[in-house]
Amino acid sequence: MRIFPSLRGKGADDGGEAFAMRLVAPALLIEFLFVFLPLTLGVYYSVHTVRYFQVGAFIGLDNYVGVLTSPAVRNSFVVTAIFALGSLILTFTVGLALALHLERDGRMQVFMRAVVLVPYIISMLVGSLLLRWVLSQDSGVPQAVLGPFGSSGFSIFANSTSAMGALTYNAMWRDAAFAMILLLAGLKSIPLELYAAARVDGASAWYRFRRLTLPLLKTPILITIVRLLMHFINSLTFQLILTGGGPANTTETIALRTFRLGFEDYALGRANALSFVMFIFNVILISVLIHLFKPGEKLR
Amino acid sequence: MSYKRAILARGLGTFVLNCVIVFFALAPLLWGFSSSIKPTDQILKVPPEIIPSEVTFAHYRTLIENDVFRYMGNSAIVSAATVLLCLGIGTFAGYALSRFAFRGRNFVMVVVVTVMSIPIAALLVPTYTLIANIGLLDTRTGLVLLYTAYELPIVIWIMLGYFNTIPRQLEHAAMIDGYSRFETLRRVILPLTGPAMIASGLFVLTSAWNDFVVAVVMTSGQAVRTLPVAVYFYLGFFGREWGPLLAASMVSMAPIILIFILFQKYFVSGVTGGSVKG
Repeated sequence: MRIFPSLRGKGADDGGEAFAMRLVAPALLIEFLFVFLPLTLGVYYSVHTVRYFQVGAFIGLDNYVGVLTSPAVRNSFVVTAIFALGSLILTFTVGLALALHLERDGRMQVFMRAVVLVPYIISMLVGSLLLRWVLSQDSGVPQAVLGPFGSSGFSIFANSTSAMGALTYNAMWRDAAFAMILLLAGLKSIPLELYAAARVDGASAWYRFRRLTLPLLKTPILITIVRLLMHFINSLTFQLILTGGGPANTTETIALRTFRLGFEDYALGRANALSFVMFIFNVILISVLIHLFKPGEKLR
Repeated sequence: MSYKRAILARGLGTFVLNCVIVFFALAPLLWGFSSSIKPTDQILKVPPEIIPSEVTFAHYRTLIENDVFRYMGNSAIVSAATVLLCLGIGTFAGYALSRFAFRGRNFVMVVVVTVMSIPIAALLVPTYTLIANIGLLDTRTGLVLLYTAYELPIVIWIMLGYFNTIPRQLEHAAMIDGYSRFETLRRVILPLTGPAMIASGLFVLTSAWNDFVVAVVMTSGQAVRTLPVAVYFYLGFFGREWGPLLAASMVSMAPIILIFILFQKYFVSGVTGGSVKG
């Protein structure tokens, strides 16, 4: 797979082969030890019976069959799909709106961009904890907002629909700025002359957005969608802190199920099997992303 | 006249919209802060007071009694070590990828982009399995090595992009002057990389300081517990006692917000994984 352009014959220093290899060796070693080796070991565990850390007999795909037929895991697939799609739609829409709203480089826009980035730069744990506080009965917000509708006793985290809504809101609150930054980078690369020309031709704002911005923004939009989707499919902190998977596992996503399988039940064989299923799914998304990135073009 | 009024109305509309955005983005943080300095019985008061009528630092004192300084120290050590290791290794790798057409360059690039994209959650269980097997469970070293593995690709990517903007003629000149390749890198090129070092260093620092999922899985003892994990344990310990919990959130968040205010322009390049302007 040669997706990155070679440097050969482009003025690169061809003589320094040994020197270059020495420079990349430590980085490769670390990645091999702490990313690729765990994956290999994980696959090995996933095809054996494992009791805590005692690896037992080879059992082929039994762990995989076990997790994929388990009702809890199946439930988590559905929950993940709902959460990821809902969060994607909400976050992307808000992110795009923010990018268009804050596109120009005025002082106000730069300040506003910094403000919306704050939920993104603080730790996910703290962000979710703060929202858990705001949305809980203890803060008084649900009562104040829902009181006039006669449901002041309503608890957001005790109802599966509103708990999922809260999770989705948490995702948007944190990551809309991330989507905005990615989309802004794309918006900046559109030449302003195009808009000027369209304006001279009498194109309305909506027409300019529809016929100029959207088509020219196609690749940044796709990259943003894939990156958000991967992030939401694998997110763990939102669920662990905000809802704890509740009520009655209705917000327990695959990542949280895997976490519990591994670190609460210590079923390391099955947990590794489920991790590998998740990993394969991610690899598919990553290969889509790499083809969208075309990093070679950005290299120069 | 009506044209002027339209502009005025538009300006007002933008202003109102901006206020709404600021409110939704920051209200949870500001309110968390105001509640963290209220006495316990005031926190649960309905309707809540936006600005506390009575200010107390009792919740912060509770944290100090519960070892918060030790956890902050652990977080600081782990984050600093990760930044140093990432910059040390990542700068060299980025330089090699930018300058040399060595065998395996394409392979290294694929590794960098792949690891940059793999979500950590998909690796947690296998990584725990490995770390437990090689005896790095419950150590700061284990955390530093894992964070380095996860953040290295973005450092390499940022440095690579920055080296590409430095003209090769500089190295040619230095080597004609009799510098070895390594001396050229150390004395001529490295002194020019300041902005990219700051941008990638800040990104790594933030990620390591903020990380919760890796640390909560790979450590269990109090001796090596980092601040986010401590906040999580406070959640179990204090339950619905929001005072200490919100105070802990503020303690965890404050350094990051301060760094963000001071170095704002460097942050965006880390998010996009893209170019740094010198």
